[in-house]
Amino acid sequence: MLVTAALLAYVCATGFALAYLIQRSELLSRLASVAGAVGWVAHTIALIVLAVHEGRPPLQSLSEAMSVVAWVVVALEMWVERQYRLPVLGAFVYPVVLMFMLKALPLRPPVLNGALQSAWIWVHIALALIGIAAFVLNFAGAIMYLLQEHQIKLKRPGTFYYRLPALETLDSLTYRTLALGFPFLTTGLILGLLSAPASWGSVFTFDPVASLSLVAWIIYAGTLAGRAAGGWHGRRAAYFAIAGFAVLVITLGAGLVLPGKHGG
Amino acid sequence: MSGPPARMTVFVAGISHRTAPVALREQLAVEEDKLREILRDLGETGAFGEVVVLSTCNRVEVYGVADVPGEARATAFRQLARHRGIDMTALEPHLYTYVDGDAIRHVFRVAASLDSMLVGEPQIGGQVKDAFALAQSCETVGPTLHRVFSQAFAVAKKVRTETEIGRHAVSVSFAAVELAKKIFAALDGKAVLLVGAGKMGGLAARHLVEQGAFPIYVANRTWARAQDMARTLSGTAVPFADLETAMRSVDIVITSTGSPEPLIGVDLVTRVLHGRRARPLFFIDIAVPRDVAAGVGALPDVYCYDVDELKQVVDANLRERLREAHRAEALVEREVQKFAARLADVEVVPTIVSLRERLEAIRAQEVSRTLGRLGDDASAETREAIEALSSAIVNKILHAPITKLRESSRAGVGRSWTELVHELFGLGRKS
Repeated sequence: MLVTAALLAYVCATGFALAYLIQRSELLSRLASVAGAVGWVAHTIALIVLAVHEGRPPLQSLSEAMSVVAWVVVALEMWVERQYRLPVLGAFVYPVVLMFMLKALPLRPPVLNGALQSAWIWVHIALALIGIAAFVLNFAGAIMYLLQEHQIKLKRPGTFYYRLPALETLDSLTYRTLALGFPFLTTGLILGLLSAPASWGSVFTFDPVASLSLVAWIIYAGTLAGRAAGGWHGRRAAYFAIAGFAVLVITLGAGLVLPGKHGG
Repeated sequence: MSGPPARMTVFVAGISHRTAPVALREQLAVEEDKLREILRDLGETGAFGEVVVLSTCNRVEVYGVADVPGEARATAFRQLARHRGIDMTALEPHLYTYVDGDAIRHVFRVAASLDSMLVGEPQIGGQVKDAFALAQSCETVGPTLHRVFSQAFAVAKKVRTETEIGRHAVSVSFAAVELAKKIFAALDGKAVLLVGAGKMGGLAARHLVEQGAFPIYVANRTWARAQDMARTLSGTAVPFADLETAMRSVDIVITSTGSPEPLIGVDLVTRVLHGRRARPLFFIDIAVPRDVAAGVGALPDVYCYDVDELKQVVDANLRERLREAHRAEALVEREVQKFAARLADVEVVPTIVSLRERLEAIRAQEVSRTLGRLGDDASAETREAIEALSSAIVNKILHAPITKLRESSRAGVGRSWTELVHELFGLGRKS
């Protein structure tokens, strides 16, 4: 019930945020914020209820984890929107939130993962999820950067030119979200690898989620190194952010559909 | 004379860029000292209850409150025309008049810059404020115009904050600044290179300096002119031969030389980009013919706008302004409706007050007479009961007429109802 309410509120937030892009009206922006906040509160309660009822963190299956990712993303979105005074951010983040929420609806009955005994596993999952949430904002920043860059290069100002902030601001947003997400993802992956022998018997068992997240990690690590070494600003960094996120989405999709050790 | 208070009508009359050619507007425009004189004269004629006169290069308007607006309008424009020696008959065809709700709508629209020649231009708000302040100092503003103008300023502010009507640049040089701000979030500390010492380039550079751009370099073929321009911009002159070196370190390049061939080619910029670690480079090419070669804008992290492209941005900005003006009009309309309703209430309030006072006086008189007759026979309880009874009767009687008065004023027929009530209850003229 509560999850449905949260989902509905997120749908409203998405609608208002997209409408705000087209029709600049403070009211729409405020409605989007309110709907997002209401959804988040309902979502929070739903997660707590689930945790209390089951007597464990709501992270036992990948679909539950998707729901938690969406929850972290909304919290981050609200915070960044305020920090950057960026009311258009919602239009780029809420659709992704919806995608995660729909993934959170289990395709098949959740396979409860018996391997989850060690406390380290919980930390592994939680850290990885926070990393993924930061990369959702990284992705949104990259999309906004490319749209604004395109408009400025095209020399025909349209809706995005007027609504989106400066390229420098968007570049800083993608950089900071990358710098935030990367350590979480890295630590999450390391913990995963370290606990693999205990749970699976061996590190080298093939698992689609583990392998694909390594690919995503390499993309993000490369982007971060490129940025730190200089020269990987702007458009190139944006393309890599999108590539990294695409791999993450495929990873999670694979986890939901393909047989593997991460469960559905 | 006993009767209802004469109804004072709010009206606006005047000429503007919409109705009169610039020659006539120039002729009629009044400077401040003379305006003060005219306001005092108008105040003394008795035709006006209240009056404000606005005189700018785009409009000369009289905002008034009067018993007979037609008469007040004629008085005002006779004065204005006489002052500048204009024939009233020449003026008459260009004059427009709005009364009541239409007048309020006009004041709100003018103050919000919706009636401006360039919609959203910011000066008009200040001009209306000045006109109002001048009338206040001449003591020709009363409660009604005070309310109307205060509300007009509030609505104008709302329009400015809730729409983007004045947000986007409508001149080429400001459009360049705005673009710079869409590339670099803030211009503080962004380095600018001005190539050529022409007037237009200097203007664009000055706008950037005002936004915090620093340092400024000036390169020009004639060294002395480069130094002159550098001095006016608090910048540094650099030798023309060092253009490439200078371009390595700056963020924005403004070009406005008279060179017949492009000065800045793709090869040069490609070389410059090597040392920049993908920092964006923005070319503002105001020269005609262009100083920056056509292919430069296609290079990565390079943004290049020539004059025509800046004009394109200005055109888009104008369209955006008109779209926003549309939203502003709707906002103003809502405010007009709200305000007109409140103003209409004000119209009947004095009648309601005197009606209450009248009945209360009758009640008090009759109660005291009765209580006097009863003398000591009446206990405190009886006295209280008589007071309460009489008050209840008066309130019951008053309820229907007061409700009716309020309704009628909102329906725009308050005048006939106040007259009727005054007649029926023999109310005196409002003090």
